[in-house]
Amino acid sequence: MASTADRGGRFLPNDPRTAEPYRLTPQLAFRVAMLGLLFLAIFAVLFLRLWALQVLSGDRYLTAANDNRVRTLRLEAPRGPVLDRNGKVLVRNVAGTRVELWPADLPKTWAARKRELRALSQITGATVKEMLAQLKANGSDPLTPVVVQRGLKRDQVFYLYEHAAQFPGVQTQDSFLRSYPYQSLAAQVLGYVGQISPEEYKSLRPKGYLPTDALGQSGVESTYDTYLRGKDGRAQLTVDSRGRPKGAARTETRPTPGQALKLTIDIDLQRAAERALKFGIATAHAAGETAANGGAIVALDPKDGAVLAMASNPTYQPSIFVGRKVTKKLAPLLNPEVAQKDNHPGFNRAISVTYPPGSVFKPVTALAAMETGLMHPDDVIPCTPSYIAYKQPFLNWTPLIDTGMNLATALAQSCDTYFYELGNRFYKLPANRGHQLQAWANRFGLGELTGLDVGPEVKGLIPTPEWRRNAYKGKQYTEVDRTWKPGYSIQMAIGQGQVLVTPLQMARFYAMIANGGKLVTPHIGSDVELTGTTGQQGRILRRFGAQSPQPTGVDPLALTAVQRGLEEATHSPYGTGFGVFGHFPVDIAGKTGSAEKLIKFPGYPNAVNKTQSWWCGYGPYNAPSIVVCAVIENGGHGGVSAAPAALKVFEQYFGKDGQITTHASD
Amino acid sequence: MAIRAVDTRAGGLRERRESQAVGLGLVRRLDWPLLGALIAVVAYGLWAIDGITRHDPGGSALSRQALYAFAGSLLFLAALFVDPDRYRQLRRPIYFGTLGVMIFVLAAGAATRGSRRWIDVGFFTFQPSEFGKVVFVLALAAFIAERSRSITDPRAPLAAIGYGLAPIMLVFVQPDIGTALVYTAALAAVLFIAGVRWSHLAVLAALTVFVALAVLWLLPASGVNVLKPYQAARLTGFTHPNNDPRGATYNLTQSITAVGAGGLRGRGVLGATQTRLNYLPEHATDFAFASLSEQHGFFGASLLLLLYLLIVWRALKIVAGARDLYCAVVAGAIAFMFLFQVFVNSAMTMGIAPITGIPLPFVSVGGSSMITNFLALGILQSIHMRRGVRRRA
Repeated sequence: MASTADRGGRFLPNDPRTAEPYRLTPQLAFRVAMLGLLFLAIFAVLFLRLWALQVLSGDRYLTAANDNRVRTLRLEAPRGPVLDRNGKVLVRNVAGTRVELWPADLPKTWAARKRELRALSQITGATVKEMLAQLKANGSDPLTPVVVQRGLKRDQVFYLYEHAAQFPGVQTQDSFLRSYPYQSLAAQVLGYVGQISPEEYKSLRPKGYLPTDALGQSGVESTYDTYLRGKDGRAQLTVDSRGRPKGAARTETRPTPGQALKLTIDIDLQRAAERALKFGIATAHAAGETAANGGAIVALDPKDGAVLAMASNPTYQPSIFVGRKVTKKLAPLLNPEVAQKDNHPGFNRAISVTYPPGSVFKPVTALAAMETGLMHPDDVIPCTPSYIAYKQPFLNWTPLIDTGMNLATALAQSCDTYFYELGNRFYKLPANRGHQLQAWANRFGLGELTGLDVGPEVKGLIPTPEWRRNAYKGKQYTEVDRTWKPGYSIQMAIGQGQVLVTPLQMARFYAMIANGGKLVTPHIGSDVELTGTTGQQGRILRRFGAQSPQPTGVDPLALTAVQRGLEEATHSPYGTGFGVFGHFPVDIAGKTGSAEKLIKFPGYPNAVNKTQSWWCGYGPYNAPSIVVCAVIENGGHGGVSAAPAALKVFEQYFGKDGQITTHASD
Repeated sequence: MAIRAVDTRAGGLRERRESQAVGLGLVRRLDWPLLGALIAVVAYGLWAIDGITRHDPGGSALSRQALYAFAGSLLFLAALFVDPDRYRQLRRPIYFGTLGVMIFVLAAGAATRGSRRWIDVGFFTFQPSEFGKVVFVLALAAFIAERSRSITDPRAPLAAIGYGLAPIMLVFVQPDIGTALVYTAALAAVLFIAGVRWSHLAVLAALTVFVALAVLWLLPASGVNVLKPYQAARLTGFTHPNNDPRGATYNLTQSITAVGAGGLRGRGVLGATQTRLNYLPEHATDFAFASLSEQHGFFGASLLLLLYLLIVWRALKIVAGARDLYCAVVAGAIAFMFLFQVFVNSAMTMGIAPITGIPLPFVSVGGSSMITNFLALGILQSIHMRRGVRRRA
């Protein structure tokens, strides 16, 4: 049928008038029906998909949509201030601005992202490399910001505000910066605050720390971090697809400021101690001891171990850790080479560095000898230019004395041969009596950690025969090296040989002499207080206070003999400290020390023997309220630099004319 | 016998209608459900686009879009009074004229070294390829209706394909893959309704599948890139949306999230954060369906789809009742093309079709699309009005 029509069409011209009238053919009807079915199928697919997305999984997508737009901001809690014992503010906060990167809102393409970071780097100074490293470390979490810089300057903040459109994913937030009104004073004691490191974060995570947190890195900032840090608040911010905030942030929880930490330090005394160190070094230089280049002073309350001052020289400005890090400024602390050149300003020499004690150790020998029954304070032992034992001469520090002395005089004039003899007596003790000198030294806290609440503390060393055998067991040593020889005991009696102590250990020992035989636990943290508005007395939340002093069991009579010797040392015309303390209105008792130490100076091939200048003592003699221990590295004899430096501390404490201006026990 | 009886009766009717087929009498022959669906979908689209664009930097696009709708409705009215036969007679000027404009746009685009799809005509930029959709159907239908007697001859569909490929290629190189796909769909519909043999259609379908595979997979594998990589990524990205949620499939992820977040009742204009905070890109145009779904939920989106369904259902009825094959082919192609756009646009926002820049009829902001769709429905109405009226020779 169709074929005839076709054929007709081929041979005849197409005349519409003769054409068959159009009719809906069954074929077309079928195709239209098929189209209809296809349409229905298509709509069925659309409805099903719509149903699946909106009704079946609607909740999931709603969550995803909300995650898209809500940013949880951290409202930084101001860190608690650090106060001295009189409430003077040593560390406070100033308002600052921190710059954060929100990985989710940064440009998606690598090139655009890098371009943005480069522009940001030019403004803030944080290098692109650092920022990328931080982003990588943060990697998995696009909704936790990375803090790339704290302490932006005003103009930098304004620039970022004005050009916010060019910096998607960059946000500025209010922040707090540590500020140090007393600048470098007590730098090593206070420590600093830094970004938490990945390792620290791993261990502190259970305590609720975040990878973006700041953390006290040393000193009291580290020890008392949990009290100082406060609790950050949270706010929610709605942002658009380019990370631009829409409207103001809604505070969910307010930040809780950190608590104020009160220290036992007296900042005026601290200042005096740090100046005293500089003075001591200058004095040593003037006396020809040109290698003098550092030192430490500790001032303790002998009754409870409160640290009144803890100075270490050289020092640094803690503010270099605040805000933008300048590598050059930080080099003396972080770069080993530069640190060595600058004689390690980062060390807290009062607790982290050990020195041979020299003559300040003699009271230990005296007390141990009396307790062991090797000597009576009234015994007269010859003081000669040299002491011959085992065919070996041991020299006195001065060849001008040749007389018999009792204990007090021997301490006052620091007679070495007197103590050589005691050392030899210790050596000759039968083995079943043990090592009495070392045992008593340990009992007095030497070669032991003092338990100070602020680190890092080192132990030092009181060598014993057992220690020697163990320390020299290597193949490169011979049996001769491993043997404890009489000379070691003789040297140890005057605080030489391998004896190493920290200034704080020595101060603690002299506190024991001063308070009648009790060993105190030194501490710096006093209490935490709720910060009131200025002028208000803070409410004390928790006292760290002093632990009660532990009796050492030393014989009071022996102690009195030593005390008398120390008083004579500063008041007898022949005493080693008379020139310095003899005319000071307050009765000060104390002992000089001049310890030989092999020092390797940078740039010189061989180590040279240099004298470490010591002075330890206390006052007033009858009712001691302060112990001072001073060390001047390479400062010559104790009387040359350490004793004058210590006097400066007493002058501040008692007043130059002896009027007590500040008092440790009030 | 029965057929003739029907025929006689129909003939009588035809005479009567012919006398009325002048002037306003025709208007009463409008397909009222289709007109109602058109008014409803335009009103709904305007209302929806107001909410979708309210928080955009430029403010609501309602007034602009209403202006386009007004212009479109004028064209719609004009189309009612044009006998479809006029298009058939003018097929060559229409076809080559449109082709010329497309070449002009392409040349102008090449001159400015970028993708150019539109001509600036003052109050709006006119997109010839969009407008060309309808024109293309009118011309193609005419070319194939010419050969309706020899439709079983493979040369008939080949000629139609020949006419069809030229504009498809021109649109493709603009580059505007979405519109090229719409053209291809329209071409397929034309061949289908015109009665091309099933076997020929099968061969064509197989060929199309092969070409698609070649473009997307075979040729790139052998180092010849017909599509730019981003185009290929968009076309195939919907098959693995979680591959790279921040990169190539970012739009898709955000779009699906927007649709899903809408839930049953929608999040409202203010609550629809995907749209309001611009996470959903191009929400006024390509992703308008996702935006509408987010704001008005399953109920709102379903309403829109139902209105579309009503339109294509009426269109199919018009195909069945068309006066001649030409009108049937035009109506069928328009219906299919319309549905194709609805499907690809809404399906792409839901992650079940490739991402292409095809506007959602009567909803997406855009003058060319709005006017073209009005014109298409006007032609449908015009065909319906002249059902059973023999064309005057």
